[in-house]
Amino acid sequence: MKIEETFYLGYTSKVHGKNGELVVKLDVDQPNAYKKLESVFIRINKMDNQLVPFFVTKTTLQNNNTVVIKLDGVEEVDEAKNLVAKEVYLPLSMLPPLKGNKFYFHEVVGFTVEDLQKGSLGIINQVLDYPHQAVLEIISPDNKEILIPVSDDFIVEVNREKQLIKTNAPEGLIDIYLE
Amino acid sequence: MSRSLKKPPFVHYKLQLRVDTAQQSGKKAVIKTWSRASMITPDFVGLTIAVHNGNKFIPVYVTENMVGHKLGEFSPTRNFRGHAGNKKDKGKR
Repeated sequence: MKIEETFYLGYTSKVHGKNGELVVKLDVDQPNAYKKLESVFIRINKMDNQLVPFFVTKTTLQNNNTVVIKLDGVEEVDEAKNLVAKEVYLPLSMLPPLKGNKFYFHEVVGFTVEDLQKGSLGIINQVLDYPHQAVLEIISPDNKEILIPVSDDFIVEVNREKQLIKTNAPEGLIDIYLE
Repeated sequence: MSRSLKKPPFVHYKLQLRVDTAQQSGKKAVIKTWSRASMITPDFVGLTIAVHNGNKFIPVYVTENMVGHKLGEFSPTRNFRGHAGNKKDKGKR
């Protein structure tokens, strides 16, 4: 499977127990959605995009955003040690679809943004995932960068069919970037 | 060493003036500031502050859990944003 068809689940942080189990540190919003994993893809070598599939025989979700997994074929601690500090991926098809004004950051890239006051602003280049809040990075037709915080107060509508996001940016925000 | 408790939190006087004006008028217009060291006080909540990071203004929509932090904490000065391309499970909060 290509890495473009997967999403980053987390990384293997250490070996757990004596049966070759691995602790995976999750990097997701809802760890509870990953209580039962059937298989995972592990990026063995960081230098290439090759993902190796592993069947998961046992999954135990822990409190602090970690999950302990037992991989099929990995029975000993030494074998598991070789898989520590590796990135873990899952297929995109495993993501539950979001409805309404909620969206995954990767799915809105390329969407057009229309402001209620200013009209069409441009196309979303990326969503900047800053620690306390995310920010939409929009590139206007004249190649200027516009930043709008991702907040329920500013995102009015997400139209997936038309690939359009309607925003109600606070007064003066867009002018800062178009000056 | 932490700031003396005898002193109130530092907020640049011009920024405080603009925040007071915005709160009194009820207009939620964006306030531009270069004062990254100013602390977010409860009267900032609900306003959008454009905080300069040395290169551009980063809009910060102030929420209650940001109170007590400094504005600069929300306007990163460095470019590395993690492996954002792969973090596809991050939904809108």
